[in-house]
Amino acid sequence: MSISPGIAPARRVALVIGSGSVKCAAALGLQRVLRREGIGVDMVVGCSGGSIYAAFLAAGFDTEDAVRLTKELWTREITNQRDTLSLVRALFPRLLGFTEDFGLKRDTLIMRRLRHVFGERRVDGLQTRLYLTATDFHTGEQVVLSDGLLVDGIRASIAIPFIFRPWKIGERLLIDGFMSDPLPVGVAIREGADVIVAMGFESPYQGTVNSPARFSFQLSSIMTNNLLRSRFAFHNLAHHAEVIPVIPQFSQRIRLFDTEKIPMIIEEGERAAEEQLPYLRRLLAAPAGSIA
Amino acid sequence: MEITVTESGPVTVVAIRGSVDGLTAGALTESLGTQVRAGRVRIVGDFAEVDYISSAGLRAVLGALKEARQQGGDFRLAAIRPDVQRVLDLSGFTSILKTFADPEGAVGSFGA
Repeated sequence: MSISPGIAPARRVALVIGSGSVKCAAALGLQRVLRREGIGVDMVVGCSGGSIYAAFLAAGFDTEDAVRLTKELWTREITNQRDTLSLVRALFPRLLGFTEDFGLKRDTLIMRRLRHVFGERRVDGLQTRLYLTATDFHTGEQVVLSDGLLVDGIRASIAIPFIFRPWKIGERLLIDGFMSDPLPVGVAIREGADVIVAMGFESPYQGTVNSPARFSFQLSSIMTNNLLRSRFAFHNLAHHAEVIPVIPQFSQRIRLFDTEKIPMIIEEGERAAEEQLPYLRRLLAAPAGSIA
Repeated sequence: MEITVTESGPVTVVAIRGSVDGLTAGALTESLGTQVRAGRVRIVGDFAEVDYISSAGLRAVLGALKEARQQGGDFRLAAIRPDVQRVLDLSGFTSILKTFADPEGAVGSFGA
C-alpha cells in the first residue's frame, strides 16, 4: 500500500522520521511534497515523537487532520500531571522502595488522548507498513514494533526517561526509541528499502543551564546528537543504495510543547524536502543498474 | 556532474561540479582511482561547485580517502558549501578527513 495516490516506484521507498518532539511535525511538510510529486512510500519508520507522525502518515490521515490532532494530543497538560509517589520514591529510595517503573509524570492523560486519536488501530493494520522503535530498558537494544496496538507502540516509543515510566510490551520493558537510535534508518535497511528518505533532528542545546533539569537536558542532547551522528554515519556507508537526509533547519528555538509553531515547522519540513526533491526525482526515474 | 583535474606541483586538484550521488558517484570513483593508480596520491577535492551529496557520494569520497591514504597520500576537501558541509558533519566525515576554506589552502597543507 502507498500513502500517496501516485504510481508506486519500482524501488522500495521508506520514510524514516526520527525523534524530535513537536519538530517531527515537519514530516507533514515532507508528506505534502511526496504526495504532490506522486512518490509512493512503501514503509514508514518512526521513533519517539516521530512515531506519532509515522502513525498519522501510515494510517492515511491528511495533513490538516494531523495538525488538528497534534494540537489536541500534545499540550503542556500532559507533563503537568506530576507522579508524586514516583518523586517521593526517588527521594527516599531505600525507605519507600525505588523501582524501574519510574517516571516523574503520570501518563493517564497522554494515554487517554492517544486512545482517542488512534483507538484500537493496530501497527500491522494500517494503509502503509509501519515500524515503531523503542529501546529495551534492560539490554539497551533497539526494539522494533511491527504489530500490536498502535497506542502501545507509540507509548513505548515516547517513554521519555525521567518523564514517563517505561512501558511494558510482552516481557520487555521499553523506553524511548531515541535511546538506541534517534534516526532508525537501520530498520528501513533491514526491511529491504532501496531509497530511504530520512528526516532527522538534532536535539537543541540549552542557552543557559540554571537548573538540574536543564543540566540533565544538556547531557541528554550531547549524547543523543553524538549517537545520531555515529549511527547515521554507519548506515550511510553500510547501505547498498541511497539514504537521503532531510534535515529541517529552524531559525527559532522550538520547545517541547510549541504546537503553535506547527505551521512554521511544516513549512520548514516542506522546504527541506524540496531541497532533496531534484535528486529524489532523478533517482526514482533512473534505471536500476545506473545507481552506485 | 563534471570533473576537472588540474595539477599543482605534486598535488592533484579535482574540481567537481554538480551532484555527487548514486547516479554520478561511479564517475567520481573512477576519476579519483585513475589519479591514485598513476601515483598521484595527494588529492584535493574542490567542492566549491558541489551542490549536493548523497550516501553513495559519501561512499565514493570514503573510497578515495582510503585508497589515497593506503598509498601514503591523502584526499582533502576544500570550499564546501553549507548544505554539503551539513551532510558531511552529520555523517561524521569531518572527523576523519581534513577540510579547508579554499583549494589553495588545501594544496598548501600538503607541504606543511
